[in-house]
Amino acid sequence: MAPRAKEDGGRMDPPEAELCAHMKAYLDGEIEAFDALYVAFAGRLRGYLLSQCRDATLADDLLQETFMQIHRSRRTYQPGRPVTPWVYAIARHVYLMKRRSAGRRARFEESLAADARADDEVSRDALDVMVSGDEVRRALRGVPEDQREALLMHHVEGWSFHEIASRLGIRVNAAKTRAFRGMKKMRDYLK
Amino acid sequence: MTPDVPSPLRDAVQRDLRPTRPLRPPFVRALVLIPLAVAIVISVPGLRFFRSDMAAIGFVKAWGFSFGQALAGLIIIAVALRESIPGRGLSRRAIAVTFIVGLAIPLVLLAATASAYDVGPEPGLGLQEGIGCFRVSAISAIPALLAAAFLAARAFPMRPALAGALYGLGCGLIADAGLRLFCDYTEPAHVLFGHGGAIVAAMVFGAVVSKFIPRP
Repeated sequence: MAPRAKEDGGRMDPPEAELCAHMKAYLDGEIEAFDALYVAFAGRLRGYLLSQCRDATLADDLLQETFMQIHRSRRTYQPGRPVTPWVYAIARHVYLMKRRSAGRRARFEESLAADARADDEVSRDALDVMVSGDEVRRALRGVPEDQREALLMHHVEGWSFHEIASRLGIRVNAAKTRAFRGMKKMRDYLK
Repeated sequence: MTPDVPSPLRDAVQRDLRPTRPLRPPFVRALVLIPLAVAIVISVPGLRFFRSDMAAIGFVKAWGFSFGQALAGLIIIAVALRESIPGRGLSRRAIAVTFIVGLAIPLVLLAATASAYDVGPEPGLGLQEGIGCFRVSAISAIPALLAAAFLAARAFPMRPALAGALYGLGCGLIADAGLRLFCDYTEPAHVLFGHGGAIVAAMVFGAVVSKFIPRP
């Protein structure tokens, strides 16, 4: 089955075949191919990173770091394979490394506090539309990292479980279970 | 509206951009370890002595099983190299199956080779003989382990400790494939400590080493 284009906020994401072609040209040393990959992924990656760190400024920094890491490890891309899971795996790694280096819990709490203080600033972001209110934020903090990630990707960003599984490198059932358990934990908390 | 590439990012990429050859698939990259694996399997008994019952167990159960186990070790190293590629991480089930199968292989081969489980060291020498086998196996695994660590690090592993434990398991199996041509003890305590312990040690060593090898 040919990869399909995905509509995302009025913009059509290029199909995997097109991304593979860009990636191949990028490996051949064409800067225009890097530009095309940036255009294809920047918006989606920023949304993903924002859903993870919940700090608009930090998400922008992580986005740049992700593209630098993509550049440094470009030779690990295997021609012909889907580009999207490869890119998201690197983005996820960049986020996790950033969080680890800053001190896991302390950094997380700080970013949440910053998020709450900068509520007006962040209100333009899609995340804030979906996740509003201190209670929900506090409930989200109580959900384990892997479950929160799947929950946000599915319920906030609207990704299918197949897409989540593909992007996180896990099975579809695992993606469903994580999102379900995360939602259950949130419900328990909000009760 | 499409996002423009920020100038500092684009400049940094452009400065460093040149045609790059992608890494070969993991199973192809694992093939470079074949000569090393063969050398380890042959040199462990070759530099010392062969087990006393080589003729009795026959060519297939001696050399055939050992090279079969070494091949399984190479396959597990290839799995570790695949795990090291972004976006191609293994599922939890695949990881569990790989570890269980890998650790079970020496026991299955022992069961297929041994006629009894009472051949062991002389009384009072159990610990010494166990440490001897452990040391021979663990040291023999190191060259393959370092080579596998280098191969894995080039692929930018997302979970380096897991990848390290996997290629450590593979290298431990290769070393143990040589050790089983050298040691004919079948006593469970010796096999589990001297032989199995060395494989587990290689896994732990791989997990630790992977943390210290710089990635791209």
